[in-house]
Amino acid sequence: MTKLTAESRRHLRTQAIKSFLRRFLGHNGAWLGLLALAFFLVLAAMPGALVGPLQTAITATGDFLIPPSTQHLLGTDEIGRDVLNLIVHGARTSLTIALVSTVISLIVGITVGMTSGYYGGRIDAWLMRTTDFFFVIPSFVLALVITPVVLEVIGRGGDILGFRPSLFVIILVIGSTSWAFVARIVRSQTLSLRERQFVERARVVGTNDLNIMVHHLLPLLVPQVAANGALVVANAIYTETALSFLGLGDPLQPSWGTLLSLAERAGAASSGAWWYFGAPGLCVLIVSLGFVLVGNALDDTFNPRRRAIP
Amino acid sequence: MAGSLQGGRTSRRIGHVTFRAILTLFMVAILNFLLFRVIPGDPADMLLAGARNSVSAEQIESQRKSWGLDRPLIPDQLLNYLSTTFQGDLGYSFKFSGRRVADLILERLPATIALVGVAQVIAILCGVMLGIYAGWRRGGAIDHVVSGTSLALYSTPPFWLGMVLVLVFSTALGWLPGYGSYSPSAATADLPDWLGDRARHLVLPVLAIALGLIGQYVVVARAAMSDVVTEDYMVTARAKGLTSGQMLMRHAFRNALLPVVTLVTLNLGYIVSGAITVESVFAWPGIGSLTVEAVNGRDYPVLQGVFLLLGLSIVVANLVTDLAYGILDPRVR
Repeated sequence: MTKLTAESRRHLRTQAIKSFLRRFLGHNGAWLGLLALAFFLVLAAMPGALVGPLQTAITATGDFLIPPSTQHLLGTDEIGRDVLNLIVHGARTSLTIALVSTVISLIVGITVGMTSGYYGGRIDAWLMRTTDFFFVIPSFVLALVITPVVLEVIGRGGDILGFRPSLFVIILVIGSTSWAFVARIVRSQTLSLRERQFVERARVVGTNDLNIMVHHLLPLLVPQVAANGALVVANAIYTETALSFLGLGDPLQPSWGTLLSLAERAGAASSGAWWYFGAPGLCVLIVSLGFVLVGNALDDTFNPRRRAIP
Repeated sequence: MAGSLQGGRTSRRIGHVTFRAILTLFMVAILNFLLFRVIPGDPADMLLAGARNSVSAEQIESQRKSWGLDRPLIPDQLLNYLSTTFQGDLGYSFKFSGRRVADLILERLPATIALVGVAQVIAILCGVMLGIYAGWRRGGAIDHVVSGTSLALYSTPPFWLGMVLVLVFSTALGWLPGYGSYSPSAATADLPDWLGDRARHLVLPVLAIALGLIGQYVVVARAAMSDVVTEDYMVTARAKGLTSGQMLMRHAFRNALLPVVTLVTLNLGYIVSGAITVESVFAWPGIGSLTVEAVNGRDYPVLQGVFLLLGLSIVVANLVTDLAYGILDPRVR
């Protein structure tokens, strides 16, 4: 008897996943976005194998600022480094910053939103007042003042878990300032879920609050969080690029934004060196477009009433 | 009777919204205070560091006392900071040889307001019209082109767009200047030439900011319009025998406008970061360039002042939108 239920439950689950995939992959945008993201994830996973180690001023292989040729497919920068080499290594830095900071902001956002919605009352009031602050003041503006101060305090030397400390700081700052949006969505979902009967039933049989939240509420929040999570990533990429462009990135481990900043300082736009700033900019454009398309398709799949942009 | 009840509710809403705005601003000020106290080094030590050997410990101590640095951080120093900030004293710049931060900011503000204001007006007009049209004619050829382009624009960093515009229109074609806000030669010219010169310098940076914003407004206006089109009252309007034009103007337009109003505030981060980075590309003499100089020169008093200014303008913009929303949407009233 129990075996049968377990089997039919598994069957139901595979059915649900299948129907989700069918609807999700029915969007052209989803395909485009997934392809673009898969491509850049491959670049980010093995930059060394694809283009060799990151070039520096000492190991630069080319002449200064030469346009694309067969030897340097995307040309060289002002100190002779191969631009293709730089952007493939930049993919790893940019994507890591974007994805890790998104994970942080999702964790903070879900925790705050769920606690707030589940307990209500005074906890809710205080948490929501804090959330309001982070919701009103944009992540970029907060990061703009927090990042230089934190960098000054901890210094730029050494490395933490294989990353330069300045990148670590950017990850933490973006992650801890961009969660308000997620917290609001999660809170409003939790508010309606906690009135449902299964929560009541779980409470009656003595399940504690943490268990109810993790095992009964969290799974139901996944669709909304996933759809908005993709947009949070796009936003993180944008914030990181803008911060690095203003000179807060790390030149020794350049992200795409840092490359754009270097190109700007070398006067690439006014000297006609289109290859130098064109490639990193296009990478940012394609990756964030990819996440927006996937996010829209997810939103559309989970929430067919609100038809999203194709 | 009903009128006075509604009036009471409206004024309570306004009071509530204003209270929240003041609270947020207060939190901005406190963060501003605490953040810049974390930096290692005491101001008295730093300023007297050059004369290290000829200054005794007692002299440093008395200087600290006269600046109130010996008193506890909270509440004495905090209250002192809040009251001087409220009087418009934002301290002195490290980098610009001790100039007042408030003066520096006021000097740079007009250029930024001109840039962002023009870009915002253009973006709202073009973005909302294109978005509403695309949503009204959903699935048509124009809709596909417009929404595809806007999604791409929306994902493009505005400063990169600025660099591309400089490359094309300034470096390659030589049509428009790609640097600064005026040419030195036109500074003494008569009024029409002077105005023309200023306007020509404004074109590319405005375009860089406006294009990204247009992308966002189109995406949101189109989504709002697509929602409105499927509503029951649109079917009723059609059944009443209204023409498409009447339906669009009388029923759809105003309802589709509400999400756009919300977006204008949600978007402030994008506008601020766009303006700051684009100014840096075009060496536009506004708040953005000041910020970049402050970040790279570790000029903390200026950075603090800029943060306060950004916080203030964002909170005010939010307040205005909240109130405007109440006027536009009778359900909120």
